[in-house]
Amino acid sequence: MKVIPIYIEAGISGFESPAAEYKELALSLDQLLIAHPDATFIGLAQGQSMQGVGIFDGDLLLVDRSEQVKDGDIIVANYNGCFTCKFIDKKQARLLSASALHQPVSITPEDEFQIEGVVTRSIRLHRPARELSACMR
Amino acid sequence: MYALVDAVSFYASCEKVFDPSIRNKPVVVLTNNDGCICAACPLARRLGVPKFKPYFQIKHFLAKHNVVVRSSNYELYASLSDKMMNVIGRYCDNQYIYSIDESFLQFKNYHTLIKDWHKYGHEIRRAVWQETRLPVGVGFGSTPTLAKAANHAAKKLPGYNGVAVVNDAASRKEVLSKMTVTDVWGIGSRLGKRLNVLGIATAWDLANQSPKAMRSQFSVVVERTVNELNGIVCLNWDEVKQPKKEIFSTRSFGQRVNESHHLKTALVSHGVIVARKLRQQHSRVKKLAIFAASSPHDENYYNKSIMCEFPVATDNTLYIANAISTAFKSIYANGVNFYRCGVGAIELENSEFQQHDLFSLNEDDPKLMLCYDGINHRYGNDTLQLAAQGRIEKWHMRREFLSPSFTSKWRDIPKISC
Repeated sequence: MKVIPIYIEAGISGFESPAAEYKELALSLDQLLIAHPDATFIGLAQGQSMQGVGIFDGDLLLVDRSEQVKDGDIIVANYNGCFTCKFIDKKQARLLSASALHQPVSITPEDEFQIEGVVTRSIRLHRPARELSACMR
Repeated sequence: MYALVDAVSFYASCEKVFDPSIRNKPVVVLTNNDGCICAACPLARRLGVPKFKPYFQIKHFLAKHNVVVRSSNYELYASLSDKMMNVIGRYCDNQYIYSIDESFLQFKNYHTLIKDWHKYGHEIRRAVWQETRLPVGVGFGSTPTLAKAANHAAKKLPGYNGVAVVNDAASRKEVLSKMTVTDVWGIGSRLGKRLNVLGIATAWDLANQSPKAMRSQFSVVVERTVNELNGIVCLNWDEVKQPKKEIFSTRSFGQRVNESHHLKTALVSHGVIVARKLRQQHSRVKKLAIFAASSPHDENYYNKSIMCEFPVATDNTLYIANAISTAFKSIYANGVNFYRCGVGAIELENSEFQQHDLFSLNEDDPKLMLCYDGINHRYGNDTLQLAAQGRIEKWHMRREFLSPSFTSKWRDIPKISC
C-alpha cells in the first residue's frame, strides 16, 4: 500500500511532480507491526478460546520471540508438542483462555512446555485472503 | 580475537523450529532426492545414526527407533539462516558469513569492552536460541584456526556446554590435545593419514611440529596451520573470506534416466548453476569436469567423466553449456540407467585478474550475463533459461518427506491452536 500524504499541484506542466521526492514516506505495515523481524513469525489462529480478546479462528498472529514475557501476556507456547495461544499466568503456572467455555489449564512437570513468544499483534481478514485459503480448514 | 559461531546440526534443528511435535524426537534430514542422511540432531546421533549413509540401507533402523525423517527443505533453511545470521551479526561489527550455518566474527579493539569472552559467548547463544530457536556453538580463538578449534570443543567435547575460549597456553593444550588432527581446519582426511604415519595424531601433536619442517614436507598451508594453532595469525581476514576454490553442482536423479536427451538437459542445468555461482563470487572457470554414472549398487556400474579446458577462463553460461553439450556425446552410453550426474568447476581464476594471451579474443559477454542474472534474480532462477535445459522436470528433486515452508509460503504458515 502506498499513500503519499501530499497533494499534487495540478496545472503546471514541465515540472516533475512535487511528490516525487516524498516517495519514501510510503507506509509499510511490516514496519508498524513487526518490531523485531528476525525474531518474529506469523501463524494462523485456529479455535475459539481467545475470542474474548478478539482473536478469532482464521486470524493471523504475529509472534515475537524477543519480547520479555510478562505475567498476563498473550503468548504462544509449545504445550505438549503443539503451538497454543493463551494468556500466561506465571504465578500459578496456568494457561488461561479468553472464553468462559474453556477452563484454565495447569502446567504440570509432566507436560512439555516452552514459551515460544509473545503475541504482539493479531490481524483479522474481513475478506478471505486467497493465498491463505489453502491452509484454512 | 576471532569467533566462529555455527548451528548444531543446522538442517535438523531448522526442522524443529516450527514443528514442536518433533522437538524431543530424533530427527534426520536427507540429501537431495532423499538419497543419504545429511544431518542428524543430537538425539538421533545418540541412537547411533550414521551420517552420509544411504537412506534405503538404514530405513528399517530409523523406523524401529521412531526417527523422524525429513527431506531437505532449502526454502526453510535459507530463511532461518538469514534470521540467525542477523542475530549473530548484532554482536560484532565485522561478520563474515562462511556458509549457510557458519559465521566468523573478527573482534578488533573489543578487549576494553569485553572482559569475559565466555559470558559474551553465552549471550550470543542465548539470543540466537531465544529469537530463532536454533542452537548454536560459539568458539573464540586468538586466530581463525583456533576459533574453529574452540567451536569444535564447544560442541563436541564434554564440559564446554556450547561455548569455548582458546586464547592462552592452558586452553590451547586442553582443547587441542582432545582433537584428532583431521578435526583441525584445513586438514583433510588424506593429509591426516600422512600426518598419522609421522605419529601426528592429535591437533596438539601438530601444534608442536616445527613450522618449517611441515612446510618442506607438506605445504605452506600446513606451515600456516601450525603457526595458527600456536596463536600466530597467518590467515588474514580476507583470506578467511576467500571465495570457494571449486564449485560443484551434482545430484542424483529422482528416477533412473536412460534417455540421452534427459541426461543432456540435466547436465546443462548443472552447468547453468555452476556458471551462476562462478559469477556470484567473481570467478571464471578454466577447467570443467563433467560426469555421469549409474548407481554403484547396480550391476555393470558405469562411471564416466570428461575434463574440459577452456582456452580462456570464462564465466559465460552459454560457453559452459556448449562445452557440456559437446562433452556429453562421449559421456552418454546406450542402455545405461544413469543415477547421478554433475558438473564441477575445478580450476578457477579471479575475474578481476585475467591473464589473456595475445591471440585469443575475449568473447565473454558480461552485459548479457548481467541482464540474465538480473532477470533470474528478480523473478526466480530459471525464469530465463537455455533451450538446452529443456522443460523436462524428470530429473528434479524427489522430496517425499518435505516439511511445510513455514516462513516463505502463506499456505504453509504454522497453525496455532486457540
